[in-house]
Formats: sequence, C-alpha cells, structure tokens
Amino acid sequence: MEKVIIIRYGEIFLKGKNRSYFESLLISNIKSALDDLLGGNYSFSRSQGRYAVSNFELKREDEVIATLRKVFGIHSVSSAFMVRTDFENDFENIRSALKVLAVKAEEDNLKKDARFRVTVKRADKRIPMPSYEIAAKLAGVILDNTSFKVDLTDFDFDFEVDIRENGVSYVYLGSFLGVGGLPVGCSSKGLLLLSGGIDSPVAAYMMAKRGMKLFAVHFASPPYTSERAKQKVIELRDILSPYTTKMRLFVVPFTEIQLEIHKHCPEEFMITIMRRFMMRIASRLAEKFDLKAIITGESLGQVASQTVESMTSTESCAKFPVFRPLIAFDKDETMDVAKRIGTYEKSIEPFEDCCTVFLPKNPVIHPRLEKVVELEKELDIDSLVERAIGGIEEY
Amino acid sequence: MTDRKIYLDNAATTIPRESVIKTVSDAMRESYNPSALYLDALKISNKISAAREVVKSALGARDGELIFTSGGTESNNMALTCSRMKKGSRVIIGEGEHDSVFKTASVLRDVEVVFAPIKPDGGVDEEKFKALLCDNVSFVSIMHVSNETGAVNDIEKLAKLTKRASKNAIFHSDGVQAFLKEDVDLAKLGVDLYSVSAHKVHGPKGIGALYIKRGTPIRPLLTGGGQEKGLRSGTESYPLIAGFCEAVKSFDPTEREQVANFKAEFLEKLLESVDGVRVISPIGGVSNILTLAFEGVRGEVLLHSLEDYGILVGTGSACASHHESRFKRLFALEDGYVDGVIRMSFSIDNDMSEIDYIVSAISACVNKLRLDKRK
Repeated sequence: MEKVIIIRYGEIFLKGKNRSYFESLLISNIKSALDDLLGGNYSFSRSQGRYAVSNFELKREDEVIATLRKVFGIHSVSSAFMVRTDFENDFENIRSALKVLAVKAEEDNLKKDARFRVTVKRADKRIPMPSYEIAAKLAGVILDNTSFKVDLTDFDFDFEVDIRENGVSYVYLGSFLGVGGLPVGCSSKGLLLLSGGIDSPVAAYMMAKRGMKLFAVHFASPPYTSERAKQKVIELRDILSPYTTKMRLFVVPFTEIQLEIHKHCPEEFMITIMRRFMMRIASRLAEKFDLKAIITGESLGQVASQTVESMTSTESCAKFPVFRPLIAFDKDETMDVAKRIGTYEKSIEPFEDCCTVFLPKNPVIHPRLEKVVELEKELDIDSLVERAIGGIEEY
Repeated sequence: MTDRKIYLDNAATTIPRESVIKTVSDAMRESYNPSALYLDALKISNKISAAREVVKSALGARDGELIFTSGGTESNNMALTCSRMKKGSRVIIGEGEHDSVFKTASVLRDVEVVFAPIKPDGGVDEEKFKALLCDNVSFVSIMHVSNETGAVNDIEKLAKLTKRASKNAIFHSDGVQAFLKEDVDLAKLGVDLYSVSAHKVHGPKGIGALYIKRGTPIRPLLTGGGQEKGLRSGTESYPLIAGFCEAVKSFDPTEREQVANFKAEFLEKLLESVDGVRVISPIGGVSNILTLAFEGVRGEVLLHSLEDYGILVGTGSACASHHESRFKRLFALEDGYVDGVIRMSFSIDNDMSEIDYIVSAISACVNKLRLDKRK
C-alpha cells in the first residue's frame, strides 16, 4: 500500500488540440517545484488526465501538498493510497486502504454518528460489476470498523475509489483545492514593476495565475533607500516563487534620475515624471529579454499617480501594453490576497522605497501629457536612462 | 565604497575584546552543568561565584544579590514586571527610557503609570519628576545614562527624593549605558534594582545582570531549576558569564578619558567644518555618546551615505530603528533639524588619527545631500 499524491488539473481540461502543450508546461512547473522541495527524491507519473507523485519521504507529505497547491494550473490534489486492484481476492487491498482511512477519519472526527458514502469510478471494464455494486460491497469494511453510517446524499465523508485500467486503484478521502489558473509560461512573458509595497506582489500573483511568466524590476535610490529595502524586495520575490516560478529580478539605480527631476522639474510633477522614467527603463529591459508586457500594481484612484490622466502620462512612455491586474481592486481586496499568498507580512515592513524620496506635498492629480512632455525637455532623458540601465544588477 | 571600517555605533553594541573572545571560547570546553554534584561541576560553580564578585565589585554592590540574566532587556523586564507594586499605587517611568522599560511599563496592570518628562538633552527634568512624587508611589524606573543622548541622570538625588516621598517605593535604574562609562557605586546611589549588560562593555551578547538590594520585594521572571538563588532559573551560561567577567576585569579606567578626548576633539573639528549642526547631547553627558542633528538632511540618509565611507553610525536605539522615534518630538528641535538626528558613539577602538577622515566624510555627505535637495 503506497502513499501517492494525485493531481488534477483545471482549466487546461477545456483546451482542445493544444492541450498537450499546456500539459507539458504544467508538468514541467510541477517537477521544478518538487525538485526545489525534494531534490529529485520522488517519482512522477501521468495517466488519463491525472498525475501522481510517489516515492517521496512520507513525513514530507504535507509539504508536498502545500507546494502543489501553489502551482498554477492545478485544480486539486488528494492524498491517496495506491494499491493493486486485486478484484479476484474480493478487492482485498482496497478494503485495507479504506479501513486505514476510515479509522483515521473516525479518530480525527469530533462529530458523533458521522455519515459516509463510497464513490467508485471503474475505468477497468474487465471487472464485471457496475460501480455502485462495488461501492456497496466496499462499504462493509467501513461499517465493520467504525461507528459511521451510510448516507449517499447527506454525508460527512466521501471515500473515493478510482479503479484504473492498469490494475491499479487509488483510494482516498477528500481533496485539497489548488490555486487554479493556467500553467506559468503559457501566456507569454512580462516584466513586473516590483516596489516592495503590498500591491505589486499581488499583481505578480494575478498575472502568473493566468499563465504569464514574469521578470521583475525594482528601482533603488541609495542612500535614500537602504540595503534592507532591497533585501525586502528579494525576499518578496522568493515568497512569490512557488506561484510565479523564480522571477529574475533586476535592480535599477534610480537616484540620479530622481535628483535630476527634483532639480529641474516642478515638485508636483516629480512622481509623474519619475514613473515615466520607470516605464522607459522597463521597456528597454522588456526589449532585451523579449518580454511582451509591463505589469504594475496600480489601482484606479488609489493615489495621485494612479488616476486615468496619470496612467495615460506614464503609459505613453511604455513600448508594450501595460497590464494592471489590480485596477479595480479595493485596497482591502488586495490586502486579502496578499495575506493569503503570504506577501503581506513582508510588504508592511517599514523600509522606505524609492517613491518616498522627495515626495511632493501636493502631487499633480490630473497631469496633462503635453505639459509633462514640455517639462521633461529640461532633462537629458536618453543619457539618464542609459546610465541607469548600465548600473543594473541582477538578483 | 571603501574597505575601511570605522565603527561609531558603540551604544548599540561594542566589539568584544580579543581576551573576551578567548575566554568565552575556552570556557565552552568546561561544559558541566554547574548544578551537578560532582567536583568538576562544583569548580565551575565556584568560578561563576568569583565572576559574580568581579561584576559586583565593579558596581560597588556591597550589599545584596547580583543575578545573571540574558541581558539588559531581561533585567529591565524582571525589574518592572516582578517587583511588588501595590494595587492602585503610582509607578513613575522616565519618558526617555529604553523600550525594554518603556514598552514593558504599558503591560503593568492595576497601577497608575505616569511618565517623568525629559529635557531636550534627554535627561530627566528633576523639577517635574519631583512633582510626580507622592506617598502612593510604589515603583520608579529612571535610566542612569540616556542611550539616545548620553545625558546622565543624578540617580542618587532622584532615589533620595523618591524614598523621602514614599519610603517603601522600589527604585530601579537601567544602567546599561552607564556601566563602566560612569562611576557607579550602587551603595552610594541608593537604588534597589540596577540593570547592566555585557555587550555594551566589549563583552559577549546574551548576558547581563540585575542587581537586587537586600530585602527588595521581587519574584523571579523565570522559574524552574532554582538557579541564581531561585531568582533566575535556567542553567547558567558559564562561557558568557566568564566573558562578561573578563570584559569587566580588562576594563582600564583611563579608557574613559581617552574616549572623552576623542569625542571632544571630534566635535570641535566637526563644528569647525560643518554648519547647521545642533548638539543634542548635554555637555556633562557620558563620554562616549554624541547625538547631533543636521539641518536639511535625513538622519537615515546620512547614515547610508556614510556607509560608503566605511563609517557606521546610528540614528538612535538600533533595536528601534524601524519605527518613528518618539525622541524626535522630545528633543524639541527646530523644523529643519527634526529628521536629521544621528547618534555617534565611540569606544577605545577609535583612534584620534581617524578624526579628520570622519569629519571630512560627514562634511562631504552633508554638503552633497543638502545640494541635492536644493532646487
């Protein structure tokens, strides 16, 4: 009786002829997540729209499940016993597995007189019994070993038995939902502006959910921002990795640009012009790595730089579509996701990011594009961008 | 960037002396539990007793107990949370206390906690302190030396005033920044409880002590095996205690003058070459701490700029550097100076020959930051 983790995929199921492409991406993401966790000490197999992970250290089962639940494209996972179907011996092995599961369930269950059913799926048509008859036959072992009662419609436990064509059966109780979505990598590649705040990590999560492979760029302004602020961004990237797969992170030295804007442009336009530089630099990076979109954590109206006019001003410097997955999110909603995916606690650590340097008292809320372009004429844009790009470090 | 390292954050922690490192390391080989019954264990127990006497003697603690703790924070926590305080009585805490006192005071129940205001130099305002005294005071905690500014409080006087107003009041002083920096004679100071820490005096981290005057009503913070006469359970860390003892033994009283000279010369040269500087530390303050405010510069930005010169300074309590310091308000600085506070704290490891370099680095950084800010 071997312990395996069964993986079911979600939306890919709907795909037609190119399903195998999505599947191969999903499998490769699953394997790379498990490699990181178990260092190759496991087996992976696939059959009929399901995958199974086996041969891992049993005490790490919870970690395996938790890891898989963060891989986009997975609908759900179950911890199952894999046994030989052994139809000739009256399903002897399946019965033993059911007994173990049922006794454990009764131990863990606080409710008296719990109700259960057994659901059988019979892919192996060599067995000359319909599923419901097999189910009825198997239920006996649970009735004999627990105080549970049968109830096919209103039940607390559904013991599932998957009889496969190859003489093997999976026996399990319940499943854990995964994060859904599409496998990372199937929806092209994009560049995330990662600040260290609450929003941008959530934006990364949202885009990865739809299958986008992400790179990240962070703007640092030493000595106005500290090494710890940069460290925080690296840690955020690492927290996101199980979802996004590991993002390459580029840190751009941004101090000179900020000082130049501060010196030559009106204070209230500081943020607008600064963000336009971010878009220019991001576009250059995107070109270099063949990325197809820029992603930000902006949400409409959240701050002065996130009005329609501000976004219009900044976007005009971008050479790629700018995706803003949080555009219609309330802060609460973003925070909820951040808490769920584990970035919140890190994001609220109070280290200054580059946006807080020379923060104007009254930033312009509805900047006119022509006006901004006019103001920027005071700056040597190309060489500022060039020097910033020359100083990029990858983490 | 430079390979040079000039460490000017000795109020946050000090670099242990080589002899301390060796002592700790050697002591780790004597690993028996001091409470065990065999002779080898007894020998260690005796060495701990000897170390205790060394620290007690450095504190002038002739009467009472000195128990080893994990450091200043634990000593302060025990003083505040384990001393007897009558229900409904008044507890006076200095407004400028370290967070291990200040925040701990906020968990006290069934007593009235009042805060003794400080002057803009960080020292307790004695007149205002006096006004808070009454016969209902059961506990007072006033630090000996301010970790923020180096201001020295007249503990002897404050303790006397307290006892006069309320003879059963317990007087605690956090002596973490005063130990070996100021003359500490506990018998003369008249305090009931006094906290010290080893890592502020070139000893190891993770070890400190609480002095408890004979008869002071205090119960243990940690219970268990009954070590330290039942006042602090937990197997004694002989290596750290030995290191603490070595740090105290190797202290040379002339070091204080050396540090004071360094600070005086540094300050003189700094004020000559940089304008827009306010000296927050009082003139009669402790010899090693110098807190300054620079006009038009953010303290933490200056701190990071100085890192590029290999100069490490603080912006205030390093343990609290991640939140807005309550001291900004207390120092009563003018607008342009409020954000520009840095704390430099020296030690015998600093050499007079470094002064010119430090001053020119500060001057360069401050000028650059001010220029950058200008339109």
